[in-house]
Amino acid sequence: MKIAEFKISRYKNIVLPLGGLILLSFLASKSCKIDFSDFGEGIANGTFFITRMFPPDWAAFPDMLQPTFDTILLALLGTFFGTILSLLIAFFAAANLSNPWVRNITRSLISIERSIPELFILLILITAFGLGAVPAIIAIALGCVGMLGKLLADTIEDIPPTLMDSVASIGANKIQIIAFAVMPEIIPNLISYALFRFEVNIRLSVLLGAIGAGGIGYELETSFSLLEYHRAFSALIIVLVLVFSIERLSSFFRNKLKTAIVLK
Amino acid sequence: MSDFKIDLPSAKFKQKATLTSLVILLVALLCSYIKFNPLVIFTEFHFLQEFFVEMFPPNYALFYENEGVGQSILQTLSMAFLGTIFGGSIGFILSFFAANNIFQIPFLRNFSKSFLAMIRVIPSLVVILIFVIAVGPGSFAGVLTLIITTIGVFGKLFTEVLENAEEAPSESIYCVGASHLQVIRYSIIPQVLPAFISNLLYAFDLNMRAAIGLGIFGGGGIGYKLYMAMRVLHYQDATALITMIVLMLLIVENTSNFLRGKLLGEKL
Amino acid sequence: MIEVINISKTLPNGKKLLDNISFKVKKGEFVGILGASGAGKTLTLRSLNGLLKPDSGSVVFKNEIGEKVNICTLSNKKLRKVRQKIGVIFQGYHLVQRLSVLENVMIGRLGSISTFRSIFYGFTDAEAHEAMGALEKVNMEHLANNKVSSLSGGEKQRVGIARAIFQKPNLLLADEPISNLDPKNAKLIMKLIKPLSEEIPVIGVFHQPEMTAKYCTRVIAIKEGKIIYDGKPNLSEDQLSEIYGEELSTLALQGK
Repeated sequence: MKIAEFKISRYKNIVLPLGGLILLSFLASKSCKIDFSDFGEGIANGTFFITRMFPPDWAAFPDMLQPTFDTILLALLGTFFGTILSLLIAFFAAANLSNPWVRNITRSLISIERSIPELFILLILITAFGLGAVPAIIAIALGCVGMLGKLLADTIEDIPPTLMDSVASIGANKIQIIAFAVMPEIIPNLISYALFRFEVNIRLSVLLGAIGAGGIGYELETSFSLLEYHRAFSALIIVLVLVFSIERLSSFFRNKLKTAIVLK
Repeated sequence: MSDFKIDLPSAKFKQKATLTSLVILLVALLCSYIKFNPLVIFTEFHFLQEFFVEMFPPNYALFYENEGVGQSILQTLSMAFLGTIFGGSIGFILSFFAANNIFQIPFLRNFSKSFLAMIRVIPSLVVILIFVIAVGPGSFAGVLTLIITTIGVFGKLFTEVLENAEEAPSESIYCVGASHLQVIRYSIIPQVLPAFISNLLYAFDLNMRAAIGLGIFGGGGIGYKLYMAMRVLHYQDATALITMIVLMLLIVENTSNFLRGKLLGEKL
Repeated sequence: MIEVINISKTLPNGKKLLDNISFKVKKGEFVGILGASGAGKTLTLRSLNGLLKPDSGSVVFKNEIGEKVNICTLSNKKLRKVRQKIGVIFQGYHLVQRLSVLENVMIGRLGSISTFRSIFYGFTDAEAHEAMGALEKVNMEHLANNKVSSLSGGEKQRVGIARAIFQKPNLLLADEPISNLDPKNAKLIMKLIKPLSEEIPVIGVFHQPEMTAKYCTRVIAIKEGKIIYDGKPNLSEDQLSEIYGEELSTLALQGK
């Protein structure tokens, strides 16, 4: 092939977007006050720092059992109440259960909730209710609504209209339709979504803990602040094991439920 | 009357009632252990009320008085952008090794898969705390954190996409004597390109939310501004910032969904 | 007894879906409604139990205390009461898949059970035994505890009929009950529905003129929203081609 055949225009599909991306990255880095060269250095520093955190403080592990239990409990109760709340809201957000106005407004509210980071919900609640388990559980529960509310409403809307017509035709009222037509159809989905959200909520619980909700997240954060890096490393290990095991458990149960959902 | 044994409704009711009671009892026990009263929202409602009064009306003047706010919005967007691009690229490359139908080199595959799995498990809290110490607080730490978390999330998502790519086109290209890399270039990449861009957009959406949240831990951006506003009790500033954040995220989410819909709808 | 008086429904663009449909059905009659797709058969049927509200006209029906009511103008609450007395069978997916056959039959009486009791207690054993009686009439009692999702199409339709029987209705409506079934099951379902018409009026929408010819006592044909035939169930080829237009040749092949 002659050099002349390597026309730039052949590559314009790739070169243009790539060039654009590089330009944007450059601008973005300026905005964050970074130089490109810093990236490699930053990651290297980070990993080096981790090695300095070895070995973990073995003596600290027993102290951290109680906070770990608290973290799990916060996530559990938050998911429990959050699922119930999301379900109730989903009834209003489903087109086949409520009128268009209500449905659209509810859906917008759910969308807006999804855009508010749970961290800030927690901060607001802490100012109102003080520190402790209460704001954390409420924050986690409210956080569920953004995801579960939408998923559940979508699932309800997927129920075949003939079923809804059928149960309405025998004279059932709205509540009975929900109890006898909607609920049996969505229960496997409900449990699956709740399990998935539980995974998310465990991570959230750790994160919220760092701001004062307590639990292992709090231990982690304070260890860092007090420069006790080995203790922090112990907490880190616990967090990793916790998140990993919960994710495995959740995937396991959700897989078992898949058969129940597909069977429909 | 038939002789067939039927599940009597009364028996079913007893079952359901026992189960429900046990669950309620368990939840009540756990709640009292951790001192959580579900009804507290109603009993202590006046706290929330007072607080909401303090938070309204939102102080939108903040946006023209303080030019730092506009800058911090750009910063957050940049953080999410950089995290997505770099994290996505690294995750992209790693996923090729981790997928079991591309480069079938067992050692590399196991290493990549485990690496990606491990990175996914690390909560972003841990990463940001480490980077804040390693490179100091600010948006740089935030970007690095996002890169790491994106590698994990994107890597896993994209590995699945690659493993779901159809075999038939690849097989037929092998048959004409093409090399591994050629098959990737001509069969795999065209197939997965829409999914790649779609997942990138999804990662961008996630990173926007994360970038805002990380602001609290020294990550910079508008999240940091919000946190500061709340700490100094400038609640009306905070409300203004929250509405801006919500607006921003809604725009990002809808644009992302729209583009993803067009991508997957069109190119499928 | 149910009487339809001049019901009409028009689309915003002026197209008439239903155009002054009127007829009266008494007990002892098994009416089959025929027509090409989109002619307005299902809309007519849905007007009979309030699933569709026509733009004008009325549907008169005797409610549970014997007074004549116009279904088109009933409030939601009153409509629900009236629906307790109207049994409906659909073409498909009208049962709750994850519940048992018995539970699905008992759902038939939800309209007459108080909300509180139905949610927090469920059904009584007495109702269960009665439901078994209904299942016996359709020969499904041996599958009472099975989940509906495990049943075949024909079996599901039989459960639907059992649910309607359990309601002890004053009117039975059927929306293409055999369209999804193979010929053997279709025949079985028609044989189960037919005897019910001795006690109460039965009105069904069908796509199978050979079935209506064999089992119905009366046929009403609808074309483009109007009734073009109301009389004996045996239709000649000319009449069928009038109703269905071009599709006649395929119908002839279905064997009369």
